Amino acid sequence: MASMSSGDESLRLCVFDLRRGQTEGQELDKILFFHPPELDVSTQLSVTGLSEGLITFTRLFSPEAACEVIEAERHSHVFFEAETDIWMVMVVEKNKDTGAIWRIDALRGMLKEVHSLFVMFHGSVRALLEKEPTGGLTRAQLYPFITDYLSTFQKRSRSEDWCCDLFVGKKLQLPNFRETTLSERGTVQMLTLARDTALEVQSLVQVLDSCAGNLQCLSMILFQDLLVSTTLSPDDTVNLFTFAVMRLTSQALLSSDASSWSHLRKGTGSSETSSRSTSGSIDSLHHVIRPLQNDKWKKGKDGFLVTDIWGLETGGSPDPAIPIVWLQETQERVYLLAYQYKSLTLLLLLPETDIVNGGLSAVKQQVIEQASLRIMKIEEKISRGWGGENAYHVKGYRYLVVDTDLEVSRASPSGKVATLAKESLLALNKLREEVDLEKSRAKRQERDLEICIRAKNNAWVIARVSRDKELYMALEKASDTLLDATDAVGRFSNRYCSGAFLMD
Amino acid sequence: MPSSSQTSVGSGALSHAYIQHPSLRCNVPESRGLFYDDANRLLICVTSSQVFSWETATFNPDVSPSVDSIPEGPILSVRFSLDKKVIAVQRSDCEIQFFHRETKQTLTHKCRAGSESLLGFFWSDSPLCDLAVVKTSGMDLFACDSAMNLRLVETKKVNVNWYIYTHESRLVLLASGLQCKTITGFQLSTAGVVRLPKFEMTLASTESNSKPIISAGDVHLVTVYGRIYCVQVDMEAMLLHTYRFYRDAVVQQGSLPIYSSKLSVSVVDNLLLVHQIDAKVVIIYDLFVDSRAPVSAPLPLLWRGYQGSDTSPQAASKENESPESSTSSENIVMYEDAWTFLVPDLILDQTNKVLWRVHLDLEAISASSSDRTSLLEFLQRRKLEANKAKQLCLGIARALILERRPATQVTQAIDVLVTAYSYSVKAGIYKELKNGKTTATIPTNDGASPDNERGRASGSSLDEEEEEVEMNLPSGPADEQQESQLSSPAISPDELYKFVFASVEEMMVEESDYLVAIITEFLRSISAEKLKVDLNIYVMTIRLLARSKRFAELSLFTANKIIEPSKEVALQLLESGGQDPRVRKLGLDMLRQLSLHHEYISSLVQDGYYLEALRYAQKRKVTSVRSSLFLEAAFASNDMQHLAAILRVLSELIPGFKETSEYYTFHGLLNETSSSVAV
Repeated sequence: MASMSSGDESLRLCVFDLRRGQTEGQELDKILFFHPPELDVSTQLSVTGLSEGLITFTRLFSPEAACEVIEAERHSHVFFEAETDIWMVMVVEKNKDTGAIWRIDALRGMLKEVHSLFVMFHGSVRALLEKEPTGGLTRAQLYPFITDYLSTFQKRSRSEDWCCDLFVGKKLQLPNFRETTLSERGTVQMLTLARDTALEVQSLVQVLDSCAGNLQCLSMILFQDLLVSTTLSPDDTVNLFTFAVMRLTSQALLSSDASSWSHLRKGTGSSETSSRSTSGSIDSLHHVIRPLQNDKWKKGKDGFLVTDIWGLETGGSPDPAIPIVWLQETQERVYLLAYQYKSLTLLLLLPETDIVNGGLSAVKQQVIEQASLRIMKIEEKISRGWGGENAYHVKGYRYLVVDTDLEVSRASPSGKVATLAKESLLALNKLREEVDLEKSRAKRQERDLEICIRAKNNAWVIARVSRDKELYMALEKASDTLLDATDAVGRFSNRYCSGAFLMD
Repeated sequence: MPSSSQTSVGSGALSHAYIQHPSLRCNVPESRGLFYDDANRLLICVTSSQVFSWETATFNPDVSPSVDSIPEGPILSVRFSLDKKVIAVQRSDCEIQFFHRETKQTLTHKCRAGSESLLGFFWSDSPLCDLAVVKTSGMDLFACDSAMNLRLVETKKVNVNWYIYTHESRLVLLASGLQCKTITGFQLSTAGVVRLPKFEMTLASTESNSKPIISAGDVHLVTVYGRIYCVQVDMEAMLLHTYRFYRDAVVQQGSLPIYSSKLSVSVVDNLLLVHQIDAKVVIIYDLFVDSRAPVSAPLPLLWRGYQGSDTSPQAASKENESPESSTSSENIVMYEDAWTFLVPDLILDQTNKVLWRVHLDLEAISASSSDRTSLLEFLQRRKLEANKAKQLCLGIARALILERRPATQVTQAIDVLVTAYSYSVKAGIYKELKNGKTTATIPTNDGASPDNERGRASGSSLDEEEEEVEMNLPSGPADEQQESQLSSPAISPDELYKFVFASVEEMMVEESDYLVAIITEFLRSISAEKLKVDLNIYVMTIRLLARSKRFAELSLFTANKIIEPSKEVALQLLESGGQDPRVRKLGLDMLRQLSLHHEYISSLVQDGYYLEALRYAQKRKVTSVRSSLFLEAAFASNDMQHLAAILRVLSELIPGFKETSEYYTFHGLLNETSSSVAV
């Protein structure tokens, strides 16, 4: 295989299993995923070999947490142990000129996220490997999944020439510091509701629950890209929220291309995807599902979202099959029903084991009969009270507030963040990196940090950590003194964070 | 348990309406007749020269009648003037005599003999006239001064066959025409005399040449919910037609079926009771609802000894002592011919010379009703026995929850109660009872046999529930009093919390999800009506959510202020957060938001965040937290640097701290442990 590495050196991503390929000559068996896939086997092996070596070495000193990152002159190697002995390693090129400036925790956040999503749809990698020990199935699932995931960022930056097919040899682009500095992966963004609306929503949640009859029905409601309500555990909420924002919300559907849907209707869009795997076997035998495939969801006439990603209903029904996801909290497989009315997206999760034939359509019917009117009213009510995309903009501030316990964050709208000077963002990015480091050092200890830095362009970049709440901020008022800056943070904290950050 | 045979006739019989001992006895020797003055609510018994009158409003059998002497003569009807100073007696079809009770002055009013005859008369409180005299030729309106001079004010010329009038409606209906179905109405209200549009009553005729005639006894004026209706018997069609009077229109409102050739009506607590006399049953209708379905199935009117709930030994013995109680059941024949139905809720038994008041048995009605939502609406409209209705409503709400009815059903019920409360507050009807005893009363199984019957009919859950709750019903008269205090059965949100939610919590431990769902709907309902509720409901909600480990919702509930922040709520969050630090954090955040500095700092220290706590104390200048808390926490963590820092901060924060023994103790400890740290 010819080396095509030159164009793709900016990003390498691999997933490997330390328990596999222990004997010499079998090393290739370790590799479960490698990007770019066209990279020659020896290079792939050298990347994983190096990584494994580093892991083994660092484990000598820190058996609990092996290496997290290796900073080389031109590359950063980011390590993430997704499951025991299953590692994800990302190698990124550093280049200040092209803006290839990364915050390691943000990159690791991506690895965590893609893994969490994978587990949500496919179950754990380990379980897949145990089910099918050759690793063929795992590879067949991982390959399109991670590629689909990474393509999401591609699309955001260059929506014009976006191609929905699995691309080979295309350069993947990771979200850079402009996107990651004032955002936090692995958190949800909440919509703040007035009390009476919140009560209406809660009442709706109960109606949704009752739509499943005696079954337990978990639910999650989003308004645009914001979470309105959830009955899921925080971790499951984050995963499902991430997925919904990527593929299901009204915006996600809007941006998807209608033409790809016609492609589906012709029936050519079979989900069977043969993928190149490093072991060289052809995996067309495996039923590969691409849950993150873009442009595959459509709103049906009844308001429910449909997709053919999961093929058709068994038993010759022409209806698309309903996706099933794993809940982390309960380790339960649940059907995922998505209903949409204008900006409101509702996800219903029903235990797979309890649903008998036709049970789902009965639930759907109930939702339409019992809840659709309320959904309409609530959408109307929320829309009326919604301040638009700049609703959470605070004049003069560019901020990010994270509650790590609740896995919730709120930030300045991206349009407003984009107005920041590059220097401010870079300084803040650097500051976050410092804080990340400090946080990992101070694990389990009382964390209380307060850092104010004057950037080259005279902007103030500020980080404030108080136990489980973090605040990052850029203030671009050159004339401000340090006192002014801390005052501004104090005011912000009192006004928008219920005084969580006590300023000296 | 009191024996049932003592308390009711025909034990085991179901009934929704009853008459009850003691009756008002009006047995006067040589009685020549019994009359009822509905304007003054007087029962009048006349002898040849005397007028005995009893107040029926108080319905006290122990009070003796007032007696007036009048000249001898025939008496066709008697009515006291509205100030009760004058007694008017109709002597014949052309003569009315007036007697002044104080001055003994007498006046005779006659109409033209031959050409017209007197049908009757009534006193009026309209500004125009004081007396209306109805004759075959029309109605004369007279003003009457204190010297009893009658002055004709106005004459309404109508051919009149018969008329009906009730003082509560101030409405007089004059019937004319061959079949007496053309009705002219006047309302002699305080606002003046209003002539209603003339209207025709509906009368079916099976054969073309048969011309049935409506008689005065076929038409009844019914006043309910401040509205005036007229009900009219149509024997041919076996229907009771209803008409509603508006200021400028008379609108027919549909018809009720008739099951008897003799019929009369009563109104009790705004409900229409149609006595099907031949069938000896009474059917109850609520004209408030559009549906003309009866409130409950036809059941006989029951005679009861003492009121079921006060068959306490004292009450029983009182009954035995009283010579008046000798009316035994043998004497009472239900719906006998000599019964006269008086407006609105009285029955005069001419044979026994006793007056009964008709009562409703709300418990029986509730027990036989399956649609609890409409039952609650029905009970919320009751005024006469507001307390009983209220307790029944509370019992129903509790039962709905304890029976794990679908949340939607319970929600509907709660909505009814909350809306009714909101309405009564806005209308100024509801007044909070300060008397804790009354609000604490619980609907009790009063032990009378009909209740046992009902218990069986409705499923036993209600009864079981009642036994668990301490009974606190005072006996007879006190109960009456308390009921009269309560003018509305409306239930405040606080009472709903206290007597419904809080009281079922213990029994619903396993179903906290269900209870939370219902509480949420309750909160939504009171929020929609812009009402407030005892914050203990929030405390309870937190407890329930934490119990079922629904962290996501707990977090949402507090974030969106569905659970309104308060100190109590925050403390409950801290307590429930024993298992889940995230819940505890919600409590801490709330304390901070509420600026409950002392509690916030203490909780922080308790959680081991003593540095943050001290920092906060320093910032907010809070000195109320015991300094030893910080010092002990730091000492326990074995961090001497922290201890030193805390000592220094406290010295600055608290004046004179350096002189306290605490300072010396910890300063000494610090020096002992580490001499390198300078303070």
